Amino acid sequence: MSQLLPYLGVASLLLVVSALWARQLFLTRKSRIELIVSQKREPTSGSSASHRDHGERIFDLGDWDFVSRNAPSEIQEMFLRERAILAISWLRRTRARISLVMRAHVAAVGQIDDLHLATELKLALSYLVVLTLCDLLIVWIWLRGPVRTRKMVGRTLRTVAWLRGAFEQLMARVSAEI
Amino acid sequence: MSLGVKNVEIEPAVRDLRNRTLARLPGDVSRLVYLASSRDLNTGRYSHDGIAFHFSENVASKAMAACHEEIFDRLVYCSLEELIEELQSYISSTAERPGDVLQSWKRLGSYRVTIPSECDEMAAEIFLSNVKIALAILQARQESAFQDGQFA
Repeated sequence: MSQLLPYLGVASLLLVVSALWARQLFLTRKSRIELIVSQKREPTSGSSASHRDHGERIFDLGDWDFVSRNAPSEIQEMFLRERAILAISWLRRTRARISLVMRAHVAAVGQIDDLHLATELKLALSYLVVLTLCDLLIVWIWLRGPVRTRKMVGRTLRTVAWLRGAFEQLMARVSAEI
Repeated sequence: MSLGVKNVEIEPAVRDLRNRTLARLPGDVSRLVYLASSRDLNTGRYSHDGIAFHFSENVASKAMAACHEEIFDRLVYCSLEELIEELQSYISSTAERPGDVLQSWKRLGSYRVTIPSECDEMAAEIFLSNVKIALAILQARQESAFQDGQFA
């Protein structure tokens, strides 16, 4: 057992450093992050409302306040059930979209000459963080419902927004190189 | 209120449609139902004789599609409370008994055909879920009002 201690120590240290790095990354970017993550959709009419975020709509507490004040308990349960279904569906889509962008990035990154290793590592770390967060949120929502998970979702939205911003910057560099 | 229409070609038709036809309808749910019912379910094309006469059939169809999406987006992002008011306003505007309309919408899921063809799946899911809850609340209110009337 004592032989494993140094390895455990190094692993714990790496984990703490990664966590601190990720935290620092999100905190410094936080002020510049727009909470609204625009959708990939390109409607024919280009209506203004289409650029709003579905996540914000799903987790809007105003609806829950209204339902909890004005509807009987069975409708309140129905509301929470419906919102949980929507929230899980939205998280699955977000996860799939991020994975798609990451795959596209990995495919394109081979074409860059001046690859910034630190940026790529940050990106990879953030990608893993977002995927883990999405998975945890799905389980959390399934267990506790969408209303109680509102704060966690807010953080995920900010992380996802940052990740998308970082992807866009990198993808712009890729396009410039090509 | 701006549609944000990218295509300059359809802007006059959109204005015309908005000012002459849609403005006369009581609320966004009525407008949504009107636009959806003007769409051919086989081709997805909309028809409006007046707009088509002034512009062209193609422009009329595009203008109606643009308005349909705009109104749908407004309803997706409005609060549940507002959606209930919109539904109530629509139900009151029909000549049918409110209870019958509510039953029919719930049983047949008539509101499913009001979704524009160009909207994304998540927006459609949010809309369907919100309408389902709004109908349940309206029905509960109606049943409660009926019981109050019986005991009064």
